Amino acid sequence: MTRMLASRRRDLDMEVPDESAGQRSGPAAELIAEEARWRRETFAPDAARAERQRGFVTDCGLEVKPLYTPADLDAIGFDYTADLGFPGEFPFTRGDRGAMNRGEPFVVSAYSGFGEAERCNQRFRTLIDWGAEQILVALDLPTQCGYDSDHAMATAEVGQVGVAVSSLADMEQLFDGIPLDSIKRVGTLGNSIGPIVLALFAALGEKQGIPWANYVVNLQNDPLKEYIARGTQILPAEPAAKLACDAVEWCIDNAPNWSPMTVCVNHINAGGAGSSLGTAIALANAHYYLDDLLARGHSIDEVAPLLHMFADERHDFFVSVANLRALRRIWARRMRERYGATLPAAMALRMTVYGHGQESLQEPLNNISRIAFGTLAYVLGGASYVYIASYDEAVSTPGEQSLKVALRTQQVIASEHGFADTVDPLGGSYYVESLTHGVERQILDALGMIEEKGGALAVIRDGIGRRLMTEGAVRRQKAIDSGQRPWVTVNQRPQKPDVANTAFRIDPGAAIDQVARLQRVRAERDEARVSAALAAVREATASGANVTPSVLEAVRAYATVGEIVEIWRDIFGHFSPSTEF
Amino acid sequence: MTLSNRKIRVLMAKVGLDGHDVGARVVARGLLEAGMEVIYTGLRRTPEQVARAAVEEDVDWIGISILSGAHLTLLPRLRRLLDENGAEDIRIMAGGIIPQEDIPELSKAGVSRVFLSGTAIAEIVDYLMAETVHD
Repeated sequence: MTRMLASRRRDLDMEVPDESAGQRSGPAAELIAEEARWRRETFAPDAARAERQRGFVTDCGLEVKPLYTPADLDAIGFDYTADLGFPGEFPFTRGDRGAMNRGEPFVVSAYSGFGEAERCNQRFRTLIDWGAEQILVALDLPTQCGYDSDHAMATAEVGQVGVAVSSLADMEQLFDGIPLDSIKRVGTLGNSIGPIVLALFAALGEKQGIPWANYVVNLQNDPLKEYIARGTQILPAEPAAKLACDAVEWCIDNAPNWSPMTVCVNHINAGGAGSSLGTAIALANAHYYLDDLLARGHSIDEVAPLLHMFADERHDFFVSVANLRALRRIWARRMRERYGATLPAAMALRMTVYGHGQESLQEPLNNISRIAFGTLAYVLGGASYVYIASYDEAVSTPGEQSLKVALRTQQVIASEHGFADTVDPLGGSYYVESLTHGVERQILDALGMIEEKGGALAVIRDGIGRRLMTEGAVRRQKAIDSGQRPWVTVNQRPQKPDVANTAFRIDPGAAIDQVARLQRVRAERDEARVSAALAAVREATASGANVTPSVLEAVRAYATVGEIVEIWRDIFGHFSPSTEF
Repeated sequence: MTLSNRKIRVLMAKVGLDGHDVGARVVARGLLEAGMEVIYTGLRRTPEQVARAAVEEDVDWIGISILSGAHLTLLPRLRRLLDENGAEDIRIMAGGIIPQEDIPELSKAGVSRVFLSGTAIAEIVDYLMAETVHD
């Protein structure tokens, strides 16, 4: 279909109106002829003079015409009511909510964490002071991979890429003086330890005396993409997905206002898939989770509102806008047509985004404008929850100054320049609507291919996802190496990396303090209660029941992340790392 | 010493818990396309496992991709393990997220070269071609 579109466009270029255009009413055919004349008489001589030779193809492979007109909308059979409708109404192309940023603007968020809980708590207080409305806790890799801070596999990694959390005691310290209901949302990624991080936030609410209904926990809890992209997988994919769904199911009954699963395009795109294929793989993952939850007897109207997606396109501003709009439309139609959703909340897809540009080590301050543009595209595309990269992320874990710039950039976009004053301001643009249609076709074609091959698990098991992603990543690298993809300070006006002595450093004492707190917790807790709780986790895990209630009880008893995950490893075994490239 | 016809052999490796391996895979592909023999360890290997694989596979180079911040511990340990196992001739190059200011310390610990983000594959290929000498 993409190819058809491209060839139709070439036909236009070559002044050969296609048959359908010929059958259209007078004005459309006239416009096509006029555009051909313009290309020949006005555009071509000017373009020839400038000799800009790069190919005009988006990162996801769509050709970009020099100009878009109503004839392009005509060519895709654009129908305002069916394709766009109104914000907050089916098919939600123009927005998941009626007022979008004109009402409550997108949630200004910070993804942050380093060292151990006490030091990190200060950072969180600072971020909230600067206006962060949502804190997503960056956990260190040992925690994400299910190891306590004193495990051999945690060597040199405790507190490095995030804060170490081994037990509820760390969470209490981390949110000391920050009541969970004092910010709009709080959460973490926890892709491979979903029920545990869910339980940690639930138990923390109990400790703070705040009912679950009064705060919102947002988790990524999307293990399937870890196997092809992000790499914190612990178990084989099938049980990992089952455990993730356990966390969602627990929320249906106990905290329906929470947001326990964010199905991610981000890492799959960044890993080389490109945004359209990446979105298709993420949708296949979403279908897998939804099917699991529906098979447990829940209705789509109960389940779908608990999921949202993490969209991603960081190379092309307009494709980014188009991707978010197309994804909302696809989601709404699939929820209604495939699953029979009836509630708007089950059809209106909310989206998290992480603003990025093509960040460079060379003159890294330029990353501020790159990230701002990338973020603006997401906001214009209608994202609900916005995080953005810090300009020094290509160098190290971000420091305070760059986190502040990241928050301020969001605040500027939310309140200055009139960016947020009308809903879906790019809707109706000949180009954006053409792209939205083209991207939608690409996503649906790729999703069809994935479904034909067996869906989400097949993408992982048969190596399809990894293979396509490596090919895409190699293609991107070649485009950069050859200069075909312009990158200022890297392949255009190249500069030497310029970041000496600026890296944010994790205090080496953090890991020592963390291990000390962990050992104190182990020494002081009620061992009998811990043993009984862990035995219950083992029993629930082995029986196939929802593990979340037993995990919550274990967490309350100060059982550690590593102790719970060890049970899962024991029962399900380890994932096997692929050595393909 | 003379140049032999032996192909340059490279073990691309992920060490520690860091799960971002696109960079490692893209470099692996690039080196393969440049005519080298390339093996990839897959995710989450310990320095011990990497050193053992490098010796068993008789490689000339280990390419470590590391974005987790643990480079100052894990890379020197890998160097030490190689040296202790009589593999002083296997050299280490690294890439990922490594602050520039850490490069002198890594060099002192026996890491031959750190490639920063934005490096073209051709630059890595040229470096390996120039630096690899087979007995």
